[in-house]
Amino acid sequence: MKTTELAIVGAGPAGVCAALEAASYGVKVTLIDRDDEIGGQLVKQTHKFFGWHEKSAGTRGIVISRNLAGSVEENASICFMGSTEALGYYKDDGVLLLETPQGIEKLKSGRLLIATGACEKMILFPGNDLPGVYGAGAVQTLMNVHGVKPGDSVLMIGSGNIGLIVSYQLVQAGVKLAALVEALPGIGGYAVHASKIRRLGIPIFTGYSIKEAYGTDCVEGAIIWQLDDNWQGIAGTEKDLNVDVVCLATGLTPLCEFLWQAGAGMAYVPALGGFVPLYDENMKTTVDGIYVAGDVAGIEEASTAMAEGRLAGLAIANSLGKVSAGEFLEKRRVSLEELEQLRAGPTGKAIVEGLAGLRGQMGKRVSV
Amino acid sequence: MAKEEHDIIVCRCEDVTLGEIRKAIREGATTLDEVKRITRAGMGPCQGRTCRLLVAGEIARYLGKPVSEILQSRYRPPVKPVKMGDLSVISEEGENSGCKCREEVTGQ
Amino acid sequence: MKGGILLTTGVPSKEQVESRTPPKSRRERGPFVVIECFQEIPCDPCHYSCKFGAIKQFESINDIPEVDWSKCTGCGVCVAACPGLAIFVVDETFSDTECLIAIPYEFAPLPGKGDAVRLLDRAGQEVGGGFVHRVLPGKKPQGTPVVWLRAPKELSMTVRNLEPVEKGGVSHG
Repeated sequence: MKTTELAIVGAGPAGVCAALEAASYGVKVTLIDRDDEIGGQLVKQTHKFFGWHEKSAGTRGIVISRNLAGSVEENASICFMGSTEALGYYKDDGVLLLETPQGIEKLKSGRLLIATGACEKMILFPGNDLPGVYGAGAVQTLMNVHGVKPGDSVLMIGSGNIGLIVSYQLVQAGVKLAALVEALPGIGGYAVHASKIRRLGIPIFTGYSIKEAYGTDCVEGAIIWQLDDNWQGIAGTEKDLNVDVVCLATGLTPLCEFLWQAGAGMAYVPALGGFVPLYDENMKTTVDGIYVAGDVAGIEEASTAMAEGRLAGLAIANSLGKVSAGEFLEKRRVSLEELEQLRAGPTGKAIVEGLAGLRGQMGKRVSV
Repeated sequence: MAKEEHDIIVCRCEDVTLGEIRKAIREGATTLDEVKRITRAGMGPCQGRTCRLLVAGEIARYLGKPVSEILQSRYRPPVKPVKMGDLSVISEEGENSGCKCREEVTGQ
Repeated sequence: MKGGILLTTGVPSKEQVESRTPPKSRRERGPFVVIECFQEIPCDPCHYSCKFGAIKQFESINDIPEVDWSKCTGCGVCVAACPGLAIFVVDETFSDTECLIAIPYEFAPLPGKGDAVRLLDRAGQEVGGGFVHRVLPGKKPQGTPVVWLRAPKELSMTVRNLEPVEKGGVSHG
């Protein structure tokens, strides 16, 4: 059977940063992604990232992904398996089943990092299966990867950073934004992103949701309405919007299937997007040898995913005896501090509380 | 509401409506697996990645239980549909992909 | 709603904007920066972009940028550096009737020098007409283009976006 020191499922920001960090200590890495390209969601992020200026702040996601891909290609210790989808993890044998373009094969690894990211949450409304109803990720892929306009006029649902950023990018692509609605009483994403789209004249309706999308063969319009305190639509507040696209940016949930299959301890933390794995300060789950990084460990920003990836890569190299104790402890301290800082603002408050809950459940399992 | 239920798709892969899901729940299917077996919700190409949370939400509301309790289901591999033929020729040596990684498993 | 009007509408309050506006004496002296970043988020490139040290050193990555008005020259380098496109420069000394406003503008095609534009406020509403004074295209693929507008002086703290008048430009919203 094919074997490797470290298998990483997911070549997004978390997985790639982990691969590079682990490989820098001489760990042999097999990096797996269902896409043929390295970068995950970064390949369609045309906006500039926040964070530290000496890290990737001020750099567009597409440039970060290009740089990361270049570093992976140059690195002889990392084998990238593109267009390869992990199908399952068999815990009794510690085997990962992979669907490669040439067929299905097994892979066994000394360490396994799950960096599978997240999938989008769907919402229920009449007409939600009409052509023209998209997830925000699909809209971004169409526009920014393939150069295809998803439609002419869009209703955006959700004011998290994804909804705000994709709205802005739609206008950049020459698409009209009819409105952005948010069920909660306040905007979910960063204020600067919201201000950017308001300056474009896009109305933001907080406390509103979609009532229905209508059309014969595809979306020909959508009706929004105001919500009462019990999340029920208020009759008489309807607005009929002339749109051909309804774009859903209604949240993400971690893609944890392999962790369930591995028997990892899980906890339900709404602030982190749903069920997330329990993990310690080394990004290690409750299963020996299995680590996590990025959105699969809780929905956060890409800068956090990269920082978690570096920490996981370091910890994995350390667990394989490739890092001196002093260097490991110092680098881990810096890494943990970086993560703490990234979450220190008011927008990170719920995440910090969610993580504290996870740590509590992890109990005394934390070890170096 | 009844009419609306039939206009709302919960599982897009298998075209299962909210009405069908609610009917199954009312008739006693109160786990994700039971709803899946009766309605096929979650049996399509995405294997429930889109509808799992929605179905769990419906069950949770009906039973008055937290959604986290309903979501603790089994996630058997493979996580996406695979052809039987492909599974019958699983490569043991990784020659399928032509990948050159052949490192020893260490640190086990 | 905690966070006020900014977090329900995306438009900062009058008080928030005033808190980022220098005193009259400074405004009369020449161009000045207006940093419309009101929320603690992990981001610091503005501080490092300023060669004059006018954007004070951050103690925490989440700090809100603070300007030393005595050091700010209104050069506009930070306008292109801000990942949130939240920084503007205003020059109220341009002429008796007109001011200059530097606006980050990530839309194609870029307007040309001398073009007539519609002037938009923070909610994207048209508040008047102006002209493109100059355009800094930014370095591809990273750079954020900056458009310097000529606008009626009384709109110096109102105008925060533009829309090309001629067809062929981008039509917003």
